Amino acid sequence: MQFFKTKKGRWWTWVLAILVGGLLVWGTQHDAAIYSDPIMQVTSVDTGAATKETDDFHNVDRQTKQTLHGKILNGTYKGQRLTVTNTYSRSGAVDQRYHVGSQLFVVVHAHSATHLTASAKDVKRDTPLVFMIWLVVGLLLLIMQFSGFMAFLSVAANGILFLIAILLNGSTQGAQVLWIFGSLSVVFATLTLWLVLGANRQMLITLATTLGGTALALVTALLVFHFTHEKGMYYESMQYVTQLPRPLFLAETLLGSLGAVMDESTDIISSLFALKRERPELSATQIFKSGRQIGSTIMGPLINVLFFIFVADTFPMAMLYLKNGNSWGYTFSMNMSMGVVQSLISGIGIVLAVPLASFLASRFMAKKVTA
Amino acid sequence: MSTISVLGLVLLILMVLVGGKAGAQSFLALILNFGLLYLAIVLVAFQFSPLIVTLVVGMLVLALTIFMSSGDDLSSTVAFIASAVVLVMLIILIVPVEHWALVQGFGPEDSEDLEGLSVLVGVNFVQVTTATAILSTLGAIAEAAMAISAGLSEILEQHPQVALKALLGDGIAVGKQIIGTTFNTLFFGFFGGFLALFIWFTGVHYSVGEILNDKIFVSEILMILFAMVSVILTVPITTWVMTRAVAGQRKRAMKDTSK
Repeated sequence: MQFFKTKKGRWWTWVLAILVGGLLVWGTQHDAAIYSDPIMQVTSVDTGAATKETDDFHNVDRQTKQTLHGKILNGTYKGQRLTVTNTYSRSGAVDQRYHVGSQLFVVVHAHSATHLTASAKDVKRDTPLVFMIWLVVGLLLLIMQFSGFMAFLSVAANGILFLIAILLNGSTQGAQVLWIFGSLSVVFATLTLWLVLGANRQMLITLATTLGGTALALVTALLVFHFTHEKGMYYESMQYVTQLPRPLFLAETLLGSLGAVMDESTDIISSLFALKRERPELSATQIFKSGRQIGSTIMGPLINVLFFIFVADTFPMAMLYLKNGNSWGYTFSMNMSMGVVQSLISGIGIVLAVPLASFLASRFMAKKVTA
Repeated sequence: MSTISVLGLVLLILMVLVGGKAGAQSFLALILNFGLLYLAIVLVAFQFSPLIVTLVVGMLVLALTIFMSSGDDLSSTVAFIASAVVLVMLIILIVPVEHWALVQGFGPEDSEDLEGLSVLVGVNFVQVTTATAILSTLGAIAEAAMAISAGLSEILEQHPQVALKALLGDGIAVGKQIIGTTFNTLFFGFFGGFLALFIWFTGVHYSVGEILNDKIFVSEILMILFAMVSVILTVPITTWVMTRAVAGQRKRAMKDTSK
């Protein structure tokens, strides 16, 4: 760790990050051997003529059939030459156009030892994925150095916890989803704040605010659900749902708001600690007021962050609904309403965390703040 | 009353109680942002180019979010210019990566939702997905730019004569403080949204290789990574714009005194 903080240490880490990353990106281009599904590299493409398609809603599109010749890169059929056909449309909502050099997952049908046919399943996407991860890590190390490394570490640690929780949820058939992710939030928050702030009084106050704010938001939401009888909540519009939607929705909302509430309470409480350090004579009431002041400037932008994450994601489906002759209102209800409800609940948590953070900090901050 | 309107009302009341006029203003900004997002979808459905719509709507969202929050003129202006620069850089990064990864539109997991819908609608979905990725990071860009420029303008207030070079270092220092927590906001925000998808993957027993090449999975992870890149880039860019602004101010002040 000490070596990492020296100039030479940083330089070496950076060179190492670039080399290892570049090697990984290059490796994903040549990793077909580790996949069990056959992968074909396209060596030449014949493109057919485009045909015009018009649907019931007068949307005009073009479909093109392409014949792809290529070579299998792995498995039993390694080295065999194959030809597959692929149809793509100009819009490309559920299909894609392939080019020379594309690596595709294919399904091989062996009719006899020499006669093979195949159909294209999907394209291999691990190279762009690894490239982007490499870019993020490289930029973090370049600009943020050690703090960047810690930020990445906490995201990675949370990612692993998240995976464990999902596996746990799977083993209980999703019956306990809210409990699993509820208790996980406590672990998430404790671990993250410990990594960011270290174990001290400031961290405890921040943790209490984070958990309190998130819990209050959920309780408020449940109360509102109770009194409005969940009117206008379209659980059936949620995507990829494989278990009871209501607890799943609450678990999603819980996780979504947790990060933002944590972000906000960290900001408010660390500013208040800094303030107390500079001006120890401030009374609890004055600290509370400053906290409210700081909080009210950051809460709006934070709610916005979550709003765009929750709602922008529904863009493609909402567009498709509009293009299929659905009304604006129906499109909203079926695609965006659940995201908006999530943003509103998280927003309530973010706002409630402001007085909570200010109150807890003003009462439980040590008389004299050191360090 | 529907659940959405009651929740909205609760949020409005709380925001006014906690933040007063600033709270009401932030709530209004939120509503307007929703209007802009919906407008973007409608415009793209009317065959406007998704990328141009996103660029224009993105700039408007940034301006609205930044100028409607309380903050002094200098820090708001700097935050806006910086976030606009980041937005443009992000578009330059996202467009080729989305073309490369071929993650546009919908995957096999969406087939149930797509039942009965025509998918040949003549809108370029590579561009729609690119637009989605850009729009989902807008909030994060605005927030990070505002945090950095507010932090820097506070430093400037306390030490008005701070050297420009020192200011650059200060910006990175402020950035280091916020990067950890901002990453967590992004991580939890996105993972909260994808929870159902990840449960699907484990429930249907996808192999690791299948998940890492799955259209929807890669598309969602790329969105998180784009958001992270944009937040990282916001730190040096906002700091740089702030030093330019301060240098300009000082030059003008010098001219005024020498007259």
